[in-house]
Formats: sequence, structure tokens, C-alpha cells
Amino acid sequence: MSNASRKRAASAVAPQPPPPKQVLMTQEEDFMDEDVFIDQTLVSEDEESIILRDIEQRQALAARLSKWTRPPLSDDYVAQSRGVGAYFPLIGFPSSRLEIDYVIGESHRELLPNLSGPAAIIRIFGVTKEGHSVCCNVHGFEPYFYISCPPGMGPDDISHFHQALEGRMREANRNSNVGKFVRRIEMVQRRSIMYYQQSDSQPFLKIVVALPTMVASCRGILDRGIQLDGLGMKSFLTYESNVLFALRFMIDCNIVGGNWIEIPAGKYKKIVKSLSYCQLEFDCLYSDLISHAPEGEYSKMAPFRILSFDIECAGRKGHFPEPSHDPVIQIANLITLQGDDQPLIRNVMTLKSCSPIVGVDVMSFDTEREVLLAWRDFLREVDPDIIIGYNICKFDLPYLIERAANLKIAEFPILGRIRNSRVRVKDTTFSSRQYGTRESKEVTVEGRVQFDLLQKEDVHHSIISDLQNGTAETRRRLAVYCLKDAYLPQRLLDKLMFIYNYVEMARVTGVPISFLLSRGQSIKVLSQLLRKARQKNLVIPNVKQVGSEQGTFEGATVLEARAGFYEKPIATLDFASLYPSIMMAYNLCYCTLVTSEDARKLNIPSESLNRTPSGETFVKSNLQKGILPEILEELLTVRKRAKADLKEAKDPLERAVLDGRQLALKISANSVYGFTGATIGQLPCLEISSSVTSYGRQMIEHTKKLVEDKFTTLNGYEHNAEVIYGDTDSVMVQFGVSAVEQAMNLGREAAEYISGTFTKPIKLEFEKVYYPYLLISKKRYAGLFWTKPDKFDKMDTKGIETVRRDNCLLVKNLVNDCLHKILIDRDIPGAVQYVKNAISDLLRNRMDLSLLVITKGLTKTGDDYEVKAAHVELAERMRKRDAATAPNVGDRVPYVIIKGAKGAKAYEKSEDPIYVLENNIPIDAQYYLENQISKPILRIFEPILKNASRELLHGSHTRSISISTPSNSGLWKFAKKELTCIGCKAVLGWHWSTLEIEILVWFPVVLTGKQDSSDVSVHIAKEGKLSYIVKRYLEDKSHKTIGVVVVVSELEMHFGKLWTQCQECQGSLHQDILCTSRDCPIFYRRKKAQKEMSEAQSQLDRWSF
Amino acid sequence: MGIERVQCDYVSLVNVLSLCFACVVIFYDECVNLISVWKQDETFEIGKEKYHGQQYCHIYFARLHLMRTLLYSLAPHWKPNFPVCTVLELEEGKECVIVGTLYKHMKLKPRVLDEYSKQKSVVPLVKLHNFMHSDDYLVLEDESGRVKLNGNIIPPEYVTGIVVAVLGKESGAGDFLVQDVLDAGLPPQIEFPLKSGEDKYVVLVSGLSVGSSTSNPLQFQLLIDHITGHLGDEKAQRFASKIVQVVFAGNLVEIPHRILNGQNLASEDFARMSEPIRELDILLSQIAAGLPLDIMPGPSDPANFSLPQQSLHGCLFPGSSTYNTFRSCTNPHCFELDNVRFLGTSGQNVDDLDKYSDAKDKLEFMERTLRWRHLAPTAPNTLGCFPFTERDPFFIESCPHVYFVGNQDKFETRIIKGSEGQLVRLICVPKFSETGVAVMVSSKSCTLHFNLDMAFLYLSKYIIPLAHQ
Repeated sequence: MSNASRKRAASAVAPQPPPPKQVLMTQEEDFMDEDVFIDQTLVSEDEESIILRDIEQRQALAARLSKWTRPPLSDDYVAQSRGVGAYFPLIGFPSSRLEIDYVIGESHRELLPNLSGPAAIIRIFGVTKEGHSVCCNVHGFEPYFYISCPPGMGPDDISHFHQALEGRMREANRNSNVGKFVRRIEMVQRRSIMYYQQSDSQPFLKIVVALPTMVASCRGILDRGIQLDGLGMKSFLTYESNVLFALRFMIDCNIVGGNWIEIPAGKYKKIVKSLSYCQLEFDCLYSDLISHAPEGEYSKMAPFRILSFDIECAGRKGHFPEPSHDPVIQIANLITLQGDDQPLIRNVMTLKSCSPIVGVDVMSFDTEREVLLAWRDFLREVDPDIIIGYNICKFDLPYLIERAANLKIAEFPILGRIRNSRVRVKDTTFSSRQYGTRESKEVTVEGRVQFDLLQKEDVHHSIISDLQNGTAETRRRLAVYCLKDAYLPQRLLDKLMFIYNYVEMARVTGVPISFLLSRGQSIKVLSQLLRKARQKNLVIPNVKQVGSEQGTFEGATVLEARAGFYEKPIATLDFASLYPSIMMAYNLCYCTLVTSEDARKLNIPSESLNRTPSGETFVKSNLQKGILPEILEELLTVRKRAKADLKEAKDPLERAVLDGRQLALKISANSVYGFTGATIGQLPCLEISSSVTSYGRQMIEHTKKLVEDKFTTLNGYEHNAEVIYGDTDSVMVQFGVSAVEQAMNLGREAAEYISGTFTKPIKLEFEKVYYPYLLISKKRYAGLFWTKPDKFDKMDTKGIETVRRDNCLLVKNLVNDCLHKILIDRDIPGAVQYVKNAISDLLRNRMDLSLLVITKGLTKTGDDYEVKAAHVELAERMRKRDAATAPNVGDRVPYVIIKGAKGAKAYEKSEDPIYVLENNIPIDAQYYLENQISKPILRIFEPILKNASRELLHGSHTRSISISTPSNSGLWKFAKKELTCIGCKAVLGWHWSTLEIEILVWFPVVLTGKQDSSDVSVHIAKEGKLSYIVKRYLEDKSHKTIGVVVVVSELEMHFGKLWTQCQECQGSLHQDILCTSRDCPIFYRRKKAQKEMSEAQSQLDRWSF
Repeated sequence: MGIERVQCDYVSLVNVLSLCFACVVIFYDECVNLISVWKQDETFEIGKEKYHGQQYCHIYFARLHLMRTLLYSLAPHWKPNFPVCTVLELEEGKECVIVGTLYKHMKLKPRVLDEYSKQKSVVPLVKLHNFMHSDDYLVLEDESGRVKLNGNIIPPEYVTGIVVAVLGKESGAGDFLVQDVLDAGLPPQIEFPLKSGEDKYVVLVSGLSVGSSTSNPLQFQLLIDHITGHLGDEKAQRFASKIVQVVFAGNLVEIPHRILNGQNLASEDFARMSEPIRELDILLSQIAAGLPLDIMPGPSDPANFSLPQQSLHGCLFPGSSTYNTFRSCTNPHCFELDNVRFLGTSGQNVDDLDKYSDAKDKLEFMERTLRWRHLAPTAPNTLGCFPFTERDPFFIESCPHVYFVGNQDKFETRIIKGSEGQLVRLICVPKFSETGVAVMVSSKSCTLHFNLDMAFLYLSKYIIPLAHQ
């Protein structure tokens, strides 16, 4: 029965799809196609009809559908009398690496009458100007690659070769029933991109295969060698055999990420049986696509629908929610049209009743199944192009899918745009130079791009359950939180202009947006290189990857930093886009590189050759213009234009697009150099990258020399100039003058003078003056940044601890404030005093605890860590104390370092800040002083102060130490708290009458271990003595009153400020504040204020009599 | 020169004082009926309220509850044809009345969080006196939820914490389109004592700021001499003889707060701090010797910070507190004198309204607090406040006859009239140390024909001679 239902037009040809092959060379996994057969992932038609019936049954939802759906199609679309102009490839290839951007189906009989058998059909999802969703099945594009044609090969030889290859392919893919593996082999004229060649072209063989995966298997055969008649065993170097099929298609059709594609009327055939949920779905030939360059009218963006959502799960106490146990209780959704300020739809789906929320469509359901299905239906009807949220790819989406699987809701995970196609979740690791290795879950939602925004913390899971188990009112509160969490990503997206920047980057580099999200830098360069090469008739070899041992080369050097505090203006001379300029200036490219042997052989005149400082030879542009310089030139010209347009542009949207574009162009230009140097990249060429850096070094040295030679008193300048530091692409010069304006003029003069000595387009620019300038060491400095002579722009710091997360806030504040005092206030003694005060406060236990909190993410459980870490140990201890509130894997653990037993390891001394607050546990001030503060502070002060360490860290201000007395641990448990008299510190026994105590005791409880109070009380009880003490107190009393009252009033002020702030954040005056986010900077202060208020009041109470 | 002469006078005056004293006593003997009945309200004493970790939602809840009962009873008369519902029950397009606490979203409002998130700005921020911005908007909230208000309600007039009723309907975007606003209006007033009696005066002074740079001990001494009848001509002394009560509305002293700041203080610091108080005590005891005296703490006094500020401790005034005429009171302060009801604050409530809303003068703020029936609506939001759990002491249950606010820039007064015939005399008491002005209120009502102008016949400004020179 199930077999019968699977029979469909598309599936008839490939009834037994081969399992996806994973056995291919693993190191190439990064760029590998995977054929997915069209019926492989689909549910049966029976199931489909069940799903549809299911929807009809839920009538309540049906009423909402009209609100949710996209605008209806106009008649001329239906009649196919109108060309479809759709905004395409942004949505084109979903965000994962092994995604089906094409499927294997039967060749289209009408469009391709000459072909039969399985073929790759490219699916593009897009949006039209009117907001209709489109799915376009592109037919007729065939996978291919090149090999160089062995000399003397005639048409007959080619046909033999074809047969031999076909035979080997059949052996390799035995269980495939494809009729013809190698469709055809054509002789074409191309040239390899590698090395300078004099001839324009050579014969190449273009091998066209049936399916995209066959490119790889065919390449394997050719790499290993093939037996040819007359030639014997021969192996071939393949060209462009590692280009993803989708990218190949885009390159050949001139389509870039995020551009508009038009299919003229009459050129597309409306599909008979639609396979997707899109409003328009049709077949067409790849040759009929018209790609519009993103300019003018076509630079606009389509009205995407953006879904921002958040889910809440009811976790059990002490456990992070797990899909196998914990239900999904709420899902909040916002739909926004790209470019609109206000969401189009706001709704929340809740398990069990929930009170209404103004302006929000609240849908309540009795079972979790209904919640999940309602969300699925919503997603399908609303049909979003982009899905965003906090951590959705790692948590929300996988959770929903796994939860549905646990509840056996088989029809849930149909969330993509393909009818009945299930969403798949897999674990992946993704590594790139830029981001490092990351583990993540990968959720494939066909036809929808997912943007994952940064992680954040919210309501603690244990509170969620309480709210859920309450009433409709408490669930409403939860829903409000949930909605807020859904709204924040949307705002972030708008604020950071993510969409604009990504679209512009996609347009510039020509890759789909999804590649930008999930892949490294190299594919962007490769895409441009391939496009350019195609224009020039060049082909790119698939060089065997040799691994990283191919040799290293000297990186960028920096001139030695002369550390110090410079109180005269320091002019900074910058090379504008240094590496790209070098590549352009010296025509460095794959196709201009000549080995010295070749240079001799080809008899190239030495004036046409260029020897780089690293010893490589490149031809000059009169012989052969390089492709890389050409790409760079284009990028930089376009950038210049974008920057000029940006200056003119008024409309904020237009500005956003232009700014995104110029930024994308800059990044792309800089990544070209990286591409040539990436030893495990696509086409490494260390000859180029080492030449670039060697030129860079030379430029810097050259600049230094010129500056120091020219700007001297001998040459009539006021002072001798001195280069104090030089980084990759900038040189810092002290001209010796003390006015900013003079320094600027000299800087300009130097830049112009030195630029004249360089090959164009290398250019030295004067941009800014640092004054004053604190140079700590290489890559570490701070200074005030001036671009105008009258006022500085900002404080600029580099490499100084201001934002590192594993430092406590105190370090960041200290460093910032000190720099502020030193650079802006020009008050070094003030800065010194400030540090001393802070250290003294720390030692005397007066530091605000929240400043001392260190936070680290708990990524694995304690057993998995090899080295013991403070936060892991703490999590373990907290679990023993109270499993319900202990942090779980994935949480971030805040801790402070407390005083421990002598010789205790640092990781044993970590403690929960709340616990510390509540129990007055002493802080290990010494730890903070030595391990947190001292290094960064000394770094700043060493260039300024002599004996900085002795002055700052060991001065008299470090002598006075006080430690809070813990209330529940160690020896203190046995000590007795008693009221003492402030005058003589005598302990007042509890047998005293209340009246006497009221007269005598006005000071807070002071802990004392002294037990011999008996004689004191007897002593005082004597009448004369008593009156003496009373008298003393009456004199003292008003002083002490003021002291206490002032302390209390300060506390009250803090209390009020902090708690009303939290009310504000919470957005409610009438509800208790629930938030337990330890990431909030005022969380500990708020807790502390609460505790101190209690104490203060009991103190004040002792005064009222 | 003038100063020296006056100082000489003062020395001699003290010498003569013992002689004069007999006179004064006799004088009072003659006017026995001038002794007034003074009754203090204990609303503003924190008393048994304990702090045990509670938050501020309780006080808002208590306020909403009190006010809503009131507004619900008014609503049927105000808009008889419209249903009353909660924020939850709103439906798009349905016209109805909702009652709730206002929350004013303010862009410029200073936030504690900014201390963390904001980069240290290079240019020091201009200190704003008023945090309003044209983007501010109002939100109405009850326990069930909140809704943004739009339409016929002007944000500059309102602040966070007021409870009002609004008529309108929900627009599609989730906003509530306000057509009309109702506040609770003036509270009921106890009847003004009609029986004829002697003319009696209450003196209101604020902002002595002893110990500050603007304070002038001589000026204060002259005031005391006027009040106690030691200065002026016969007419002035006749007035002085009718004074039955002196109220000091906050900021008696100014203590240099900075030197405290939780540091351990040396005993000389304590001495420096308590010096102004010692001085004040000496001066106050001169008044307390002859007249009932109420002192209220203000923002610069050694009292707690949050409202209601609790009475200053008696031990600070070892001299004057020995008199039973000396009464240390709370701020706000509410008392009845011969059944004339006085209500006053040391100024924080109106000053805070001035930061977060807009009015033509300070009196208008005062009038609004009465109409809103809430003495300090911005507490706890922007005004420090004790987290009460069971009640909201700032709710004005009974309308005062005299409502004064201390520590203002200038003297202003006006009478306002309520819908039920309530008449209230509003007074802004200026800072004495800066203006040299004290205010005298007459509590006389002489005829059966009730006339408020007559009742508060005499509002005099004591312009101390030194201020003229």
C-alpha cells in the first residue's frame, strides 16, 4: 500500500535511490555536492491527505488564515501572460552546507524533448515585487568539469576516451540505473589560470556528466588514472571539478546572491502538480533566465516576510529542558515585512488558557499536539522567507522537532516550502579560519533562510514551570516574556542592518546569502575568481590539497614599539588597503607567476619581470594582466563609487544599502590575500601571499627610513622626526611638534612625499593624530584620536582589557577610568590615586560585589573537563546544595573568588555571588589584586610611572584590610554574636533589662569572641559607672545618629533606583519582579540593596525609643 | 557696619531677654484662648511596617485598589453609557472606560543601567532640569496588563503612578485611543470650623539650611525675634501675639553629605557634621520656649532618604527637645489645628513632578496632586519611597484646608475650589535662607457667612530688614 502511494511521476524513474555517498575524500567535504532524489524526503500522499483533513478540522485556525496569507495572485500571473520578475537567490539555497539546492528528477519532457532519464533540477525560491512567493524549477543545466586535452587527441580518441570513462563510471556506480553517466565530452579552448603562458589557449576537454555527484566520482577516476588505448594508464589533473553545482549554475547564468531574476512571459510552464507551498511554481529552462544586475531599480530588496519567534518550555526543577520530557508551552511569533517598522502579525500560541494581551492574537490549546500543529500551520500559511531568533538553530527549532518526534506527531516537521518534505536535524561541526571550530545543530528548512542571533538569558526555567502551572493570568505573564523575546531579535536585526549588509555582501561576491552565514571566507573569493576566469576563458585547476605543511612564510612584521607615554602629537600614516594595493601595483596573480626556469625558457625580457622581495617572479601587466588585480580593482572602484554615493544619499534605506555595500567590498578586497595564503584552501599560492607580505614589510621599513631621513633639523625642520611604532599597515611618527595642527600638516606632507615614491596604487595616507598616546607594546596602545585640529574625536584603544569576558567588571572599569583620567583629563596623579582608592576599597571589603563577578559558560559537565575550572567546580557544588537552581550545561556561571583555606586552589575558592552576599562570605581580595587587576593596570602605568608596581600595588593604601565575618561557616559558627557597647566595646549580656540596653546601645551588632562579659556587666551595673557611661553616650549620640542615618539614606536611595529600574525593564508596576538574569549589571546590586535595607531597618529600629 | 550694629543689638537683646520674659508670659496670660487644639495625623509614620524583602508592586497595588474603588463609583456619573472594563477585556473598536495606573515612558529619563552600558562620554552630560521629550508616551496598566494610550491625553501633564479613568477604544494597532480622562478630583473636606474665634496665625518656614553658604544666622535670629514678639512695633507685636504654631518645612540644616559616604569617620568629622545641628538647636529652643514648634525633615536633613521621611531624632536637639512644645514630625506632615486641616511636604513631591511633567507654576503641580488624590505619585518610580505592603500613605483621603510645599524658589499662593465646594489654600513656601521670606497663615473665620478670603485673611511676608540692605 505504501509502495503504491509512493508512485508519482517524479519518482517513477528512480525507484531505488542510492544511499548518499559519504565515502568520498573527507577533506573535501567542505565543497561537495550531494544528490538528493526528489521523493526521498517526502511523506506519502495518504499522510498528506491526513494533514489536510487535520487542518480543515481546526476551524478556529482557518479564520485566521486569511490574515496570515500572502497577497493573492493577480490574474495575469495566473494566465501566465506576465513575466515573473522575482527576487531570487537570497532564498535560493537554504542555510546549511549539505542542503538540496537541486533535486534529481525526471528531465522535463516539454522543455527538454531530447533528454530523458534523471537530471538535476535547480530549485530557486524567491519573492516577487508584489510579495508573492515563487518556486522556480530550472531545467537543463548540466554538471561538468574540465581536463586538459592530451596532445594529439582527435575526435575519435575523444569518443574512445568517452567510452572508457563511461565504463569506469558504471563500475564505480554499480547500483545506479542512470542510462548514461558521461553525457558528452567536448573539446574546448581554455587556458589554465596557473602560471604565465604565452599561448592564448590550449585544447581542453569539457566533461559533462548526468548528475552533480558524478563530478566527484569522475574526478576520482581521472585522478587515479585511466587506461587509454595507445596512451596506457594516464591520470589527469581536473579543472573546476570542485565547484558546487549550485554555484556553477549561478556563475554560468550570471546570477549573484540577492539579485532579481526575470523569466519572460511565455518562457515558463506552470507546474501541473505543485510540489511546493509557493504561490507560483513553474518550470523553465536555465537559458531563459534573465539576471538583472543589482543597480538602480534592481538594487531594491523584495518585501521579505521575516518571522521572529521564541519558544518556552516547562523544564523540571534542576534540569535544562529536554525534548524527551519537557513540553513546549508557548510559542510567540512576530511577522515583519522587510523595511516596515511595525510587525504585520503578532501572536502567541499557548498550552492551556491564557488571558488576552492587547494587540496580540492569543491562541490557546488544550494539548501540546495542537500547539505544535498550530505553529506548523501558521508557518505554512504565513510562508516566511527568513526565520530569526535567539539561538533558534541550536535550541528552538531542534527542540520543536525532537519534541514532536517524541509525541509521535509525524506530520509536524513539514516546515519548509516543499510540500510534504520533512525538516531534518543533524549535528555538524563547522570550522573556518575566521570563526574557529563550532559545534552546532543544523536544521534544514527548505526555502527559508535562518538567521541565528546571539544567545541570551531569560526567565529561569524553574520559574517558567510555576507560571505555567498557575492561572490564565500567570500564563499571560509568561506569554508577555515570550513575545518580548521574539521581538528583540527583530529589533536587533533592524538595528544592525544585518539584512542589508548580507545582501550587499552576497551581491558583491556572488554567493547566496546562506553561504555567507555558514561558510568561511574562501568561497566568496573563489566565486569571484571563477566568474572572472570564465570571462577570460581561464580554468582553475583542482589542486590536490597538500595539508598545512606546505611551508610557512613570514607574516606581517611590525616595527618594534618604543613603549612610553607620548605627550606630543603622534601622526599616523596609514596605507590605504595595503595588501590589495600591493597585489595591484606588482600585478601579483596566479596567471602572472613565472618560475625562473620558465622565464628563461620563454625568454621574457627582464624589464617585463618583477622580482619580489621574497624571491618570486611575476610578469608585468604589459605582458599579462593578472586576474586578482583586476578583481581587486573592480572591488575598490565600486567601493569608491559606493562611498561617493553614500555621501550623496539622503534616504536612510538607501544609505543602509550603500554602507553595507562599501563595507562588503572592503572585506572582500582584504580576503583575496587570505585566499592565496590559506594552505588548506581552494587554490593556495604561497608565492603570491609571501610576496605580498614581503612587500608590506618593505613598505613599512621604507616609510620609516624616508620619514627619519627627511624630517630632520638638517633639512630645516624644527625637530627630528622619530618613528615610534609601525604596524601591518600603519606607521606612527612623532614629529616633535607640540601642536596637533602642526603634526597634521607634517603628517600630510610626509604622506604625500612618501606616496610619490611608491608604485601606484599604493598610497600612504595621513588620517589621524594620536595625542596623547600611550604605547604599551606592540598591538597594545591607547590614545586620543584627532582628525580635526580643534577637537578630538574619541578615545581609541587597542589590545587593552576593556571587553574581555573572563575579567570581572572591576578590571574593565578600572582600565577605562584610568585611561580616561590619563588621556582626557591629563591627570596622572589622579589616575594613580584612583587606582589606589580602588585597591584600598577592595582590600577593605568595600567593593560592590557585582564588579567582582566573573562569568564563564558551562559547556560540559565536570567530568569532561580535563583541567579543573572554577566555574565547573562551583556548578558541581551548587548542584549538591540545591539542584533546582544550579547552573546546567549551556548556562553561564557567574562566580566570585572567596577566601579559602590556606593553600586552597583557585578553582576551589569559587562561590556563587548570591550565596556570598547572603552569608557575608569574605572575598579573596588578594586574588583579585594579583590575578585580575595587577597585570592590566601595570601595563598601563609602566610606561608612565617609575616603580609602578611598588607604588600601586604595595603602597600604604594596601595596609588596611578588613574582612567580612561570615555568618554560617567555619569557626564563626561557634562564635556568639552579642551586643556591644560602642564606647568601651564591652559586651552587653542579654540579662540586661531592655531599658538599660536602649539607653546604652546605639551601635550595630558587632561580633566579638570575648566571653568574659560578666565582670563588665557587674562593673557597669554599679551606679556611678552607669551614669558615667550614659553621659558619654549622650555626648556621642548625635554624632552617631547622623552617621547611621546617612548610611541608611544612601541605602534607601540605591534601593529605590535599582528596584524601579527593574520594574521598568519588566514593563509592569503591579507585578513582582521575577527576573533572575545574572547577566544584568544591576542584579547583584539589587539583591544587595534588598539585604542591606533589611539590616538598615533593624539598625534604625534600635534607635527609636 | 549694619551687621555689627545688629550683632550688638543681639547681644544686648539676649541680656534683656530675661527681663522681657515676664512681659511675654503676662501677654500670653491675657490671651488664654489662643491655646489651640493640635492634632497630628500618624499616616506618615512607618511605625510597625517592617522591611522583609518586599518590592514596590505592593504599594502600586494598594494605590490602584484604593483609587479604583473611587473611580468606579464616579464612572457611572461621568460616562453613564459606557461599560467599565479591565485592560484584559479590551476589544478592538469597543468603546469603554478603563481604570489603571499611568506609566510614562520617557526617553530622557536617567536610568541606573546607563551607568553600565553607556560609554564614558567625553563631553560631560548637560544636567537636565526636566527630562521630558516629545517622544514620551503614556501607558495605562492594571494587574491584568498594560496598553499604550494615544489620542486625547497629553503626556506632559501626567507622570508615572497616577491612577485615572479613561474613556476610549482600542485601535487595531493595539493602542488605546483616549477620548476623555477622569481623575478622582478633590477629596471630601471636613467642614471648616465656623464658630467665631480669635484670629490665629501659623507661621510656615522652610529651607533654613543652617550650615550652608547661603544661610545667615542673623536673618534667622531676626525671624525668631519677630515670631516671639521681641521685634517690631506694637502692631507687629500684636500679630506676633496671635501666632499659635510655627512649622519648619524641611531643610533645617545642610550637612556636607560627601564627607560621609560610608567611610569610617574620625571624631572631628563627626563634630564638623553636627556643628550646624548644634547651632540650629540653640535657635530652635528660643522658639520652643514660647511657641509650639513642628519640624519636618527635608532632603538635606539628617533623616532617611525615602518618603515618608521619619521624624528627626530628638537626641539631635538636646536643648529644644526638652520643651514639650517641640515636636519632631514626619515629612509629609499632616495636622489639624482647631479643626483646620494642614497638609504639607518639604518639597520633594512637587520638585519631582517638575522634573517629569510640565505646568505653568508650582501651584498647578500642587493642585494636580490634590485632584489625583495622591501626594507623591512619582514615588516610588522616581522619588524614593518606603516599600509599603498594605497601604499607600500618600493617598489623600481627606482634603486639607491648607496645603503647603516647602523649599520652593518663590512664594506663591492660590485658592482652589473643588466640585463639592471644597476650598483649599495652596502655598509654596520659599527657601528662607535664599529669600528671607516666611509665610504666616491666618486661620480665622470670623463670620457665619463663610468666606475663604476672610478665613485666610492674612498672609504676610516677613521681609527681614537685612534682606533689604
